[in-house]
Amino acid sequence: MSEAVRAKSAFHKYWIILSTRTQEDMAYRANYVFGAIFRFLPLVTMIFLWWAIYDGRKTSGASPLIGGMSYEDMVVYNALMYVARGFSSVPGTMSDISKDVKDGLLNRYLIKPINYLWYQVMYRLAHKLVFWYIALLTFPPIFFLMRRYFTHWPTLWECGAFVVSLFIAFSIGMLFCSMIGMLAFWFLEISGFLFVVMMLEFFMSGQLIPLNILPAYLHQVLFFSPFGYEGYWPCVILMGKVPEDQLLQVLLIGFVWVGIFYGLSRLMWKQGLKRYSAVGG
Amino acid sequence: MKTIWRYLKLTGLMMRNCFVRELQFKANFVVRFFTELMWLVMQFIYIGVMYGQTGEIAGWNKWEMIVLMGTNYVIAQLFEALFYDNCVRLTDQIRQGDLDFNLIKPINTQFLVSLRYTDYASVFNSMVGVGVILFALGKMGMAVSFGGAILFGALVLNGVLIYYSILFVLSVWTFWIGRSNNLMELYWQFGQFSRYPGDIYPWFLRKLLWTVIPMLVVSNVPAGLLIHKLEIGGIFYGFALGALFLSFTVWIWKKGLQRYRSASS
Repeated sequence: MSEAVRAKSAFHKYWIILSTRTQEDMAYRANYVFGAIFRFLPLVTMIFLWWAIYDGRKTSGASPLIGGMSYEDMVVYNALMYVARGFSSVPGTMSDISKDVKDGLLNRYLIKPINYLWYQVMYRLAHKLVFWYIALLTFPPIFFLMRRYFTHWPTLWECGAFVVSLFIAFSIGMLFCSMIGMLAFWFLEISGFLFVVMMLEFFMSGQLIPLNILPAYLHQVLFFSPFGYEGYWPCVILMGKVPEDQLLQVLLIGFVWVGIFYGLSRLMWKQGLKRYSAVGG
Repeated sequence: MKTIWRYLKLTGLMMRNCFVRELQFKANFVVRFFTELMWLVMQFIYIGVMYGQTGEIAGWNKWEMIVLMGTNYVIAQLFEALFYDNCVRLTDQIRQGDLDFNLIKPINTQFLVSLRYTDYASVFNSMVGVGVILFALGKMGMAVSFGGAILFGALVLNGVLIYYSILFVLSVWTFWIGRSNNLMELYWQFGQFSRYPGDIYPWFLRKLLWTVIPMLVVSNVPAGLLIHKLEIGGIFYGFALGALFLSFTVWIWKKGLQRYRSASS
């Protein structure tokens, strides 16, 4: 197979984007190390805050479980959230895409034989690769220090489901951010709106509070929403809080959301391009 | 006296200049207000859920916690209004050599770079925080005397200046390391510590947060004053620490300037 034919193969060109981007990001890895350590500061607060809450319950004689979670579970939940968010958060995607659309920078990509959305996926994937390259050095020692909180050894099924759920987490995070970014095709100035969306995501993914301890009337919405897959579900799956016979169902709903988001984002891209006026450029 | 008057006048001018700029983007103002309001609502839900599980957290009841949250919010918003943008801009100026334009002006450069831009949306939001505090105090049936309010205001300002000192030192660090992004992230992550009562932390961490990284002095002291959880010594300590941190910024700024290489690359 000649070089020219090989370069034309769709897989190869995205591979090149991925590897170039990864090398670029690697140049700034010191930045990542810095972030990787300080990132855990809020976890320190969480550990003590929840301790005070569980302690308050103990003195008043209330049950030592909150929503079926012990104090150790709560700490582990908050720690695993870092892993889940390490997959589902794609910082800058919303604002980058909306900026490309708004300022007409999209032209650069439209004239190239690549799909812009796949280009974005590769770009963020590279970012994640470097993130995890550093995180594999910082996460294990921190988790080792916290070993006494990890009371549940996940089964093989749970480990498998966890890995799959992380894939769903990245897909949903990536697709959702792309869709919000593409809203710029219709509404030119959306930066204020982005902040609101990020906050909702923060809340509905269970980052602030585990979804199962929120008021029961919210459960129906929260458990079936796509955002739970960006944080809550991967955590509780590995913690063994999802019965094994329900694992498949949880993952299936996740895949349905990935499918819906994929279809929607393709549709938005097609319709959006029709409206795109390439201002600036 | 004449110097002080001159600096005050200059501060007024810079603030007026920013106000005029702000008026050009009124929609931005409204959007910022509503997003911040949503953030506050989320904090309320958060505190509500926590206190749904227990009546007291480390000896603090729900409304006391809300007073603390409100106080911290006011301080954070005022810091963001006055200093945050300026600190971020400063790191860029140091890196790109744009500091030259400020150095040649016949005025204290630290003063100029620290107070040049004011973010009015945050000023406005801080007043919402004051509303939250008054509401929570009302729920507990507590009142604040006139003197207490003045002292609270001074302690809030002290907290803002401590925040400023820490972030300013981190910005000035750029003189040595050449780059200093992540500043925003650090602000958020350290800010976490001032959101909660110091009583939840174990001894060592609590001491650390009262001295070297005084995130507890920032918020716990003024909030403690309002809900009578503060000993009189705490007030003096808070002011003394604020003064110490502020004078440190002056010293480090001068040290840093000696390393300034002007033009970029």
